[in-house]
Amino acid sequence: MRDYDIIVIGGGHAGIEASSATAREGFSTLLVTQSLDAIGRLSCNPAVGGLAKGNLVREIDALGGVMGHLIDSSMIQYRILNRRRGPAVQAPRAQADKFTYSRNAKELLEHTSNLSLFMDTVTDLLVENGAVIGVVTQRGWKISARAVVLTTGTFMDGRIFIGEYEESCGRLGESAAIGLGSSLRRLGFDVGRLKTGTPARVRRSSLDFDELEVQPGDEEVLPFSFDYDTVDRPRLDCYVTWTNEETHRIIRENMHRSPLYGGRIVGKGPRYCPSIEDKVMRFPDRDRHQIFVEPEGVNSEEMYLNGLSSSLPEDVQHAFIRTLPGLRHCEIMRPAYAVEYDYLNPMDLYPSLESKILSSLFVAGQTNGTSGYEEAACQGLVAGINASLKLRGEEPLILKRTEAYIGVLIDDLVTKGTKEPYRMFTSRAEYRLSLRHDNADLRLTRIGYEKHSASEEKLARLEKKIEDMSSLRSTLKKYRERGKNGLELLREPEVTISSLSQKLPAVLSYAPSIRSEVELDVKYEGYLRRQEAEAQMFSRKENMMIPPDFDYDALKGLSAESREKLKQIRPASVGQAQRISGLRVSDIALLMMGLRAKK
Amino acid sequence: MTSYNVDEPIYAPATAYAPSALAVIRLSGRNTIEMLSHAFSSPSRLNKAAGKTLVHGYIMDDENVRIDEVVLAVYREGSGYTGEEAVEISCHGSLVVLKRLFTRLEQLGFKRAEKGEFTFRAFMHGRMDLTQAEAVEEIIHSKSEISQEKALDRLSGKLRDSLAAVKTRLVDILASLEVQLDYAEDEIIDEWVFPEAEVSSIISSLKALSSTYGASRIYREGAKVVLAGAANAGKSSLFNLLVKEDRAIVSPVPGTTRDFIETWIDLDGIPVRLFDTAGLRSSDDMVESEGIRRSEALMDDADLIIYLVDPDDALLPENIDNDRTLVVYSKRDKRRMADDLSISSVTGEGVSELIGEVKERLMGLSPQEEGGLSIDSERQYSYLLSCIDALESAERSKDAPVDIMAMFFQSALESLGYITGEVTTEDLLDTLFSKFCLGK
Repeated sequence: MRDYDIIVIGGGHAGIEASSATAREGFSTLLVTQSLDAIGRLSCNPAVGGLAKGNLVREIDALGGVMGHLIDSSMIQYRILNRRRGPAVQAPRAQADKFTYSRNAKELLEHTSNLSLFMDTVTDLLVENGAVIGVVTQRGWKISARAVVLTTGTFMDGRIFIGEYEESCGRLGESAAIGLGSSLRRLGFDVGRLKTGTPARVRRSSLDFDELEVQPGDEEVLPFSFDYDTVDRPRLDCYVTWTNEETHRIIRENMHRSPLYGGRIVGKGPRYCPSIEDKVMRFPDRDRHQIFVEPEGVNSEEMYLNGLSSSLPEDVQHAFIRTLPGLRHCEIMRPAYAVEYDYLNPMDLYPSLESKILSSLFVAGQTNGTSGYEEAACQGLVAGINASLKLRGEEPLILKRTEAYIGVLIDDLVTKGTKEPYRMFTSRAEYRLSLRHDNADLRLTRIGYEKHSASEEKLARLEKKIEDMSSLRSTLKKYRERGKNGLELLREPEVTISSLSQKLPAVLSYAPSIRSEVELDVKYEGYLRRQEAEAQMFSRKENMMIPPDFDYDALKGLSAESREKLKQIRPASVGQAQRISGLRVSDIALLMMGLRAKK
Repeated sequence: MTSYNVDEPIYAPATAYAPSALAVIRLSGRNTIEMLSHAFSSPSRLNKAAGKTLVHGYIMDDENVRIDEVVLAVYREGSGYTGEEAVEISCHGSLVVLKRLFTRLEQLGFKRAEKGEFTFRAFMHGRMDLTQAEAVEEIIHSKSEISQEKALDRLSGKLRDSLAAVKTRLVDILASLEVQLDYAEDEIIDEWVFPEAEVSSIISSLKALSSTYGASRIYREGAKVVLAGAANAGKSSLFNLLVKEDRAIVSPVPGTTRDFIETWIDLDGIPVRLFDTAGLRSSDDMVESEGIRRSEALMDDADLIIYLVDPDDALLPENIDNDRTLVVYSKRDKRRMADDLSISSVTGEGVSELIGEVKERLMGLSPQEEGGLSIDSERQYSYLLSCIDALESAERSKDAPVDIMAMFFQSALESLGYITGEVTTEDLLDTLFSKFCLGK
């Protein structure tokens, strides 16, 4: 008899989704965290969503996860990004009151039945016959479980750097988790180092607001969650300012004091979220860089300087930050810093996020080399769902690249690995035209329900939505003008659903989200069809499953290199095998023939 | 990554690609019958045809003009060689007809089959046992030597460079689109503007490249074959003989002066422009020197030079371009040169060997156009055309939103990738991060 069904290590965004998923599904779950006060912290940017990331949040919600609810109940500004750049790639982003977000996260976990919370640091795993059977903590507890989900974020052997200053921390002021990294190395895990950073926070009352441009949110605020139609939250502005020649001069003159230049940081940082010193050095021709000043909460004085992350010494930070208009007299409350941490090679995971090295161990979040709350949360959810499915003895949830950004993310990680913190981009998704944020429920809620994560109420709402959409379509189809029906009219570039609603008021009886979704479906139909044909071809390969014990050595004609790669990755399907870098067309053909012969 | 797909519609000639009385083209894949019916003279008869039956009619081109009279053998799913829905087209074995049929099939959406692909499918659909399949494994494996990642190495240096340059330019354009999709408008403030001049310049360089495609050019323009050699080597006799062999002679066109004559002949199915030049020897005669100069110019431009040598004064020319020159000894009736190609215009001995050799050379031709640039396979040629097609579609939809626009450039790059090696998301992100200062 084990103490718990499932133990989740870490209370960040991955840990929240994983533990609430397993508990929601009825498995007794223990969440072990270093600090109960730090659950669901937005350690960096006080915002959730954005391009591709907003889609992730809505996918999480569609599958039954909690991130959508958490941001809906804590947002202080909402915007739809890329309104002008094609409806298929728009996405919602919200500024959060980070204190509210974190408090709501803790309360949500406290109110989840079957879920226990415990403050301690896990230092080792208990292993029996190649499977994890529990954890050992710093204070000497040995707790057993049938499955473990590992979500350590930046805490495993984390080190922070501020110029010459360096300390063993996972976040500034919070100690690193020491011991687990070396235990995992000992167990044979491939452990690497990655780096990320965060900018300084400055005091609101010390800013010169007349020198800052105001950046308001959208008038219309829509929830991330599909569970309700409206959100009522306070609205705050963000601000914009720019760096200048003087800022850049100070940074250039002090580059030698950066820990990156002394070689003290070995982990690779993300190219898409470079520090300000990186931007200045790599783009010497740019005479200014845009900086966003964002509130961290309704009642907080702290403001986040988006675009100014840095690991330069604090005196240098003080000097260059105060060269920016609006920030000339600012008081710095927390310094910018870089953090370096252990991550585990995600190629050692199955697409279910279960470890190939240690059975019943699931790994999610930054521990797998990703970056971002949304990326972490969606992995946590999938890991939690799959840990539960494993205990039930059912097939794991593996989302396809054609189905969800989550599918793209996990497939990329387990098939190709990552050398820098992995962030989701729309350009990573081949079928992005069909992976819109507004249709995440249509794509995923039924799957989430079948995998015991999404509730029956959620499914009922989905069915209502499908009904409404089809009824709006038939309303449109009945309407005629210029010899065309309403759907045909809507296909014309200059016709919109709102221009149609002036002649056909019945349209207005449908919810705005239903209206815009039908509009997008109709307008993109031609392109979607083209993509669907490709997606179908793609799916056929995905459905050609490879048994986990498939003997690659028995396959004649494979090159030695391809054989090694296939044995390391052990792809779940021919489709996945095809994406392994360096594999040849002929290797795949041989593999397909080998599978066929086995049947 | 390209890969064999089971049941995507494909085609391939099942008989040798050579002139013959009849030829067979095999089609296989989902929806083959319906797809082909769009180019068939009686579509409904074809669509209704039962499995394992024959349908007679015409294949029409995209302007509804007959290409050839054919007999179609129709196979419904489960009965043909591959086990998929399939059609075998029996048509006339003229290379021009085959060529036009291939083009038409590609327009209809059939892809040219990769080597071994029909057999691969037959195996995958259980139409073949493992022993047979192992033979296929070898075929597939030999193919891997020339497969995609090696594709770039096989291209000639200059072609590779110029395709790589086009690819870089397309990656730049796509990166400038992707950056708009990956970053919000408050970070990347500039609106994307369709790079009209750049796109049309890319299209014209691709078109220039595609026009170098050897085989297609030869069927369009005819192969230039020049008879050369010393004045008394027997050029004119051979010329007359070759012309006489060809009953379908149009009319001999005399050269503008007395420098050369030109005529069209059908050399065993290949359209050939045959030139008889003035003899090559230095001369003080002004008119004759001019004639020699023109002969040399003609030879520079030729697809193939038949260099005739009199065995009695076996003087081989200097600076002979072996790739394009066929050295032939004349007057075989008087003296036979062992081991060499030798003919007699009087008795006709050796002429059919000569014709065979000329044909072989022309079929394997990758012509020397400006700077040695040429496309050398049907496959490369068709991917170039689809790349051009994607770019022209982009041009036509200049006002489309950027997410749609990206799709056109993606598919252009994908086509190019089949020739030069794939463009991956990582390539794209690399370009994106190195060109744009991104990230908050």
